[in-house]
Amino acid sequence: MTWLAGRIRSVPTWQVTLGLALLALGFLIAAQMAAEGPRVQYTSQERTPLVATVLDLQKQQDGLKQQVLDARAAIAQLESVGEGGAAVTKQLNDQLQQAQINAGLVAMTGPGLVIQLSDSALPAPSDGNTQDYLVSGRDVLTVVDQLWAAGAEGIAINGERVVVSTAVVDIGGSVVVNGAYVAPPYQVTAIGPKTMFDTLTRQQGFADFIRSRGEAFGIGVAYATPDSVDLPAYAGSVNLRYGRATSTPLPSTGP
Amino acid sequence: MGRGRGPLALALVLALLGFLVVVQARSQGQEQGLAQLSVQDLTELVANVTTRNTQLREEVATLQQQQQQVASAVQHGDTSTSQMRSDLSHILAWSGALGVTGQGVQVTVSGSLPAFAVGELVNELRNAGAEAIALNGVRIVPGVTAAGDPDHLTIGGQPLVSPLILLAVGQPETLAGSLTRAGGLVAQLTSQYVGVSVRVDPQGLVVVPPSSRSLTPALGRPRL
Repeated sequence: MTWLAGRIRSVPTWQVTLGLALLALGFLIAAQMAAEGPRVQYTSQERTPLVATVLDLQKQQDGLKQQVLDARAAIAQLESVGEGGAAVTKQLNDQLQQAQINAGLVAMTGPGLVIQLSDSALPAPSDGNTQDYLVSGRDVLTVVDQLWAAGAEGIAINGERVVVSTAVVDIGGSVVVNGAYVAPPYQVTAIGPKTMFDTLTRQQGFADFIRSRGEAFGIGVAYATPDSVDLPAYAGSVNLRYGRATSTPLPSTGP
Repeated sequence: MGRGRGPLALALVLALLGFLVVVQARSQGQEQGLAQLSVQDLTELVANVTTRNTQLREEVATLQQQQQQVASAVQHGDTSTSQMRSDLSHILAWSGALGVTGQGVQVTVSGSLPAFAVGELVNELRNAGAEAIALNGVRIVPGVTAAGDPDHLTIGGQPLVSPLILLAVGQPETLAGSLTRAGGLVAQLTSQYVGVSVRVDPQGLVVVPPSSRSLTPALGRPRL
């Protein structure tokens, strides 16, 4: 025994850590493989290709969003260096940057909080509606509205920035934000004043939500108030196809 | 194994471990959510995500074209500010800092609706592709929501007087059809709330005013 103890002590720390990490790695690989099985069995023949299509489309969407962000950054870069600092151009460029910030086209960081909504852990009664025990688009919209009322100046839902065109749609038990499928749990992140959480919890609308969804159906509502929160840029279309601006408040071109 | 290679192997394994944890969490979250959906819901979801992807492809094409124009202008020393002016006007209009005019719909609501239902009407119009929305003359931008008791509603802090009139710029038939389809939001609201009637009229021209509130963030700063 003394020999064994001595042997263990002589093993370098990194080897012990490596051993533990390999053990965890093996467990995760096994979990990943095992997880495939039941899900494949769970989905019917019609659903399997549909689920695969949704995941594939979502993957394509992630790539397209990145292309939008890259192209916007490239244009901004060209516009900022291209004009040799002419006063009008600089003014236009500053206005353009500010307009993009105001529109939600730029990633932001600031004080704020995160509210996480998760599906109920309670079993739905046999005569109950199972959908009541899942977080719905309406729940997410309620929290977003309550955060605006509490003074939020910018909000994102699971990496989708809430902008002027954002719709939160409920499809069955899933939630679609900005046309993107977002998976539970739903993290609603808001930039706002330090007092935002206190204001939120004092609002009647938020209290009603906690009572009607949290207490009645066990919908999980958790929150965090980190020092700062990050909001992603909106990476979607800003096209006006049917409308046009009613006026053009642009700087004069003359000196 | 040499002295220096052990920690390196450890770092690699830990990196792989972290990657797998993230993959596992993401794939489980996404697929488990989808596995609960019916075929009909999945089909609707495919349609929704496809619509957004189509819009994104158009946006990418527009931006790439714009990028080429700007690059070409820069190359020729052309002090072309027209593209920037056009971009600026476009973003200001889209975000609510400028008014927007075009074809669209007028939605007239008589009777007493709760604030949340008003939000649902706005949400439905957005989902149907509305490009600019105003409620009783107040432009709807992020942060401007209906609040209060059904008989004392406010929008962006201003009192709302019945009837509620929503104006939305967009494809009139799509906007109207989305609201008035069988089992759609208008049907739900009028059956759920007694005394409420909702009229949806396609319009050749609606004028949505600019927002009167500042859209500039006071606390957040750009993340570089």
